[in-house]
Amino acid sequence: MLTAIVRRVLLVIPNIVLLTALLFWSVFSLLGTPVEMMLGRDADPATIEALNARYGFDRPVYEQYLSWMWNALQGDFGRSYVTRQSVADAILPRIAVTLEIAGLAVALAVVATAVMNSIPVARRVIGSANTGLSLVGITVPNFMLGISLIYLFSVQLGWLPTTGWVDWSEGFVTHCKHIAMPVLTLSAFFFGSFSLVYRAEYRSIQQQLFIKVTRAKGLSEWGVSFKHALPNSIMPVITYAGLSLGQMTGGAVVTETVFSVPGMGRLFVDSITSHDFPVMLAVGMIIIVGVVLLNLLADILYTVVNPRIRLE
Amino acid sequence: MNVRIWVGGAIVVAIVVAAVFAPQLSVHSPTRSSVDFLQGASWAHWFGTDDLGRDVFSRVLHGARISLVVGIGAGVVATVLGLPIGLIAGYRGGKVDLFFVQMIDLFIAIPALVLAMIITVMVGVTLENLVLVLGFVSWPTVARLVRGQVMNIRESLFVEAARALGGRAVWIVWAHVLPNIMRVVAAQFSITVSLAIFTSASLSFLGLGIPPPTPDWGGMVRAGFDFLSINPLISLAPGGAVALTIFGFYLMGSTVE
Repeated sequence: MLTAIVRRVLLVIPNIVLLTALLFWSVFSLLGTPVEMMLGRDADPATIEALNARYGFDRPVYEQYLSWMWNALQGDFGRSYVTRQSVADAILPRIAVTLEIAGLAVALAVVATAVMNSIPVARRVIGSANTGLSLVGITVPNFMLGISLIYLFSVQLGWLPTTGWVDWSEGFVTHCKHIAMPVLTLSAFFFGSFSLVYRAEYRSIQQQLFIKVTRAKGLSEWGVSFKHALPNSIMPVITYAGLSLGQMTGGAVVTETVFSVPGMGRLFVDSITSHDFPVMLAVGMIIIVGVVLLNLLADILYTVVNPRIRLE
Repeated sequence: MNVRIWVGGAIVVAIVVAAVFAPQLSVHSPTRSSVDFLQGASWAHWFGTDDLGRDVFSRVLHGARISLVVGIGAGVVATVLGLPIGLIAGYRGGKVDLFFVQMIDLFIAIPALVLAMIITVMVGVTLENLVLVLGFVSWPTVARLVRGQVMNIRESLFVEAARALGGRAVWIVWAHVLPNIMRVVAAQFSITVSLAIFTSASLSFLGLGIPPPTPDWGGMVRAGFDFLSINPLISLAPGGAVALTIFGFYLMGSTVE
């Protein structure tokens, strides 16, 4: 098992290098150097050249990539062109915000998936309801769900604030009111996809002998479902969650934009629309590296937990 | 499972009809503004009017065109790229397979929306670019699915018989493997279309889609956001339309898991 894990870890390094290099190269070759971007097309070529030379943008791309990487590894991502703030300082508080929202959404989705799909009464009705709900969760775009929630809870009922962000320190209840809709919006998609995975696994577990044994021993249907079937069916959901995180970052970007949540996704959108080169590069790199690492973690977790794979 | 194909198919057919006959079905122009701005739903304007006085119903109908073209176009691009790669990797196996699997794993890890955002801002947003980008983002999924299917079929008896009779690889893949995976490829095509519409709508919601005044669902949802308390349909009608379209295509494709 150890060699398998080591091999998997070693494969990740070239992947990260390749992906980040690809991003760096494409941003540079297609957008031009930051100087060209800031001064615009009509600028004097001599000025552009002088500034390029002054900031080192005339060096070969691979050299710039290496120096960017070297600085990034030491926590220096440069300065934002728009706010002049250090990129690392701008990103750090936003990572916390995104992790809070996304973490809560994933947790909510996992719990809802496990509970709603394990209830042993009226299986047929609840089953179809869950299938319908998960299809809706997968297919309704985050922005549509978010705006519908805003219309219902803010405009019509007036229960929750429309958008914006209030920190923990400024009051727990207000904080919860502000994150309620973003978390719900984000978790709908997770619930949909987790539910499909969980139901397939749950059905096959139901056929297994040990479930019949617990039933034969006289355990109630609730006990069979929640004590024995649930723990055995939830593992694929957790692996699936880790592996599909890449596609889920898109949902976070959109949700943060709808609700004006000051997270990474929002920062990314802002940096793209304002052509803020260093921020865009830093956030893009962090997202890619984060996704690759989380995929790796899910893979390893799966190997460690699943004895059948461990033996191979 | 047949119910899903029928319901999904009916939704898709309805959307296609709306897209094709949009000019005939709508009384008002989708782009001409008027002084009757921000009106609620009425007989004259079924979904009311937006902040520039444009009829929301005609805009929603016309918006179907962009979504369908982008979605189906991206599905075609993804299939054209992913199908041959999946066929070669799955049928050849060995080192070729290893190479392609590495490539698929590499690209599948990239978040579709994030990649699409970066590419669209770099190459500029046009209809062709959007189709190419979204197709490029989704080919790895197609390739992986096809590869898995081909690996199963490669071991079956009729393929072995064809090989024993001296059939060349290209012929075997064309005549024996391809017809057997067509159902799955078609289902995946439908799923890819739904995901591409999803991503393109998200892009235009973020302000990175086809620029106005072309009616485009994601952008319309965004534009109506500020007027949610006056006429919610400016946002909710195109949002509902895009959700329905995605749902239809997804339902059709979800029959083969």
